[in-house]
Amino acid sequence: MTQDKNDPIIQVTDLHKSFGRLEVLAGINETVKRGEVVAVIGPSGSGKSTFLRCLNLLEQPTAGHILIDGVDITDKKTDINKVRQGMGMVFQHFNLFPHLKVIDNITLAPLQLKVFPDKESARKAGMELLDRVGLADKAGSYPVQLSGGQKQRIAIARALAMSPRIMLFDEPTSALDPEMVGEVLKVMTDLAGEGMTMVIVTHEMGFAREAADRVLFMDGGIIAEQGRPEEIFSNPKNPRTREFLSKVL
Amino acid sequence: MEGFFQFLQSFDLGRQIYQTVFYADRWSWYLDGLKLTLQLTCGAILIGTLLGVITALFSISGFAPLRFIAKVYTTIIRGTPTTVQLLIMYNVIMVSSTNKLLVGTLAFGINSGAYVAEILRGGIMSVDKGQTEAGRSLGLKSWQTMLYIVLPQAIKTSIPTYTSEFIVLFKETSIAGLIAVTELTKIANMITSQTYNAMVPLIVSALIYLAVVMLLTFVFGKLERRLRKSDAR
Repeated sequence: MTQDKNDPIIQVTDLHKSFGRLEVLAGINETVKRGEVVAVIGPSGSGKSTFLRCLNLLEQPTAGHILIDGVDITDKKTDINKVRQGMGMVFQHFNLFPHLKVIDNITLAPLQLKVFPDKESARKAGMELLDRVGLADKAGSYPVQLSGGQKQRIAIARALAMSPRIMLFDEPTSALDPEMVGEVLKVMTDLAGEGMTMVIVTHEMGFAREAADRVLFMDGGIIAEQGRPEEIFSNPKNPRTREFLSKVL
Repeated sequence: MEGFFQFLQSFDLGRQIYQTVFYADRWSWYLDGLKLTLQLTCGAILIGTLLGVITALFSISGFAPLRFIAKVYTTIIRGTPTTVQLLIMYNVIMVSSTNKLLVGTLAFGINSGAYVAEILRGGIMSVDKGQTEAGRSLGLKSWQTMLYIVLPQAIKTSIPTYTSEFIVLFKETSIAGLIAVTELTKIANMITSQTYNAMVPLIVSALIYLAVVMLLTFVFGKLERRLRKSDAR
């Protein structure tokens, strides 16, 4: 990426989302800069996941605007599929395609969306990604044969196969056995080190503190407090942040 | 063979069997009947599968008129007896057609389509929502996600119910005699009216149905095990 390190890549203004009468997001304003790693923390039901899922329109916002690289994705005329190709997403429950081998999980979208001219080059790129997450030997396996940690690393590789500029992580380690959390966080830390723009909803406070450039604390559908991780974790100003952190740390 | 026939003639049940199965090569009638039964079944399952896939896709479509069409079709077909549908097809809709086999195949095919649609719709619904989200989040279009991610999984889970629909259909064609298709049951009836013997022809036809169903069950069972193996669980 040659673009300016500091130009905004995600701009959210006055984002609202309601499910029926329940207001989950109550006006969010937030700007993420290119290459920034943002951790979103907060109690369950605070709207963290909904916020993240609005960023690639898996949830349709009720009101507000979201600009990705300057393109307003809440505009009906925007080709959301095109925008999504530039944004990878990693889910809590992996959502690997169980009927496809690992390598085909990775190459399905790039092949269908013609990112690669032929099967061979897609496969080669897929193998490189598998190598990067340390699972090249699993290319021919089916997802059911993998552990949770391996599945999530494959899911990350699958998202990376579209060469996204932004990666969204929705509680990527919450469904993992404790001993597998580390291997997934390691891949994510590497990714952050390579300058990937990342928005991560997480309960891993240690990871948020180490890897994030900025931490957002959400509560009641708004960003109640945000700042550099050391500020948030050592010296939270909002009493709700303090209360939350005292429970989880 | 002669000796076997003489043996049959030597007792009452044997004489009945000889009369209704072997005399004047009547056994070949059963085979012709079975052939028509299988033709009806295979033709109908082809039509039914095609209609079923289209209807299932209609029923999950985002476009309300398509969902409505699917709903009307499955409601009417599943809410009325197959026999009545068959008679309507023969006496009302295709009254000018002389090809009874075609009329029967269409009637059973349209009937089966509604059931196949529901089977497949169930399969599609059973695929986790996360699969669709994963596909869409990669930038795949809705139809690509359906075709490459959801449908393959839906079809796999639908196969056991689909094969039992095939077996149900096979047995259901026994009413095609109502529109003078000389399928297996009709043949049994015809032989009965010639020989005044109801028991043997009916039991013979029942045994033929049973043998085919057992064979189908065996083949489908093998197929399902093969499919499950590719899951490599």
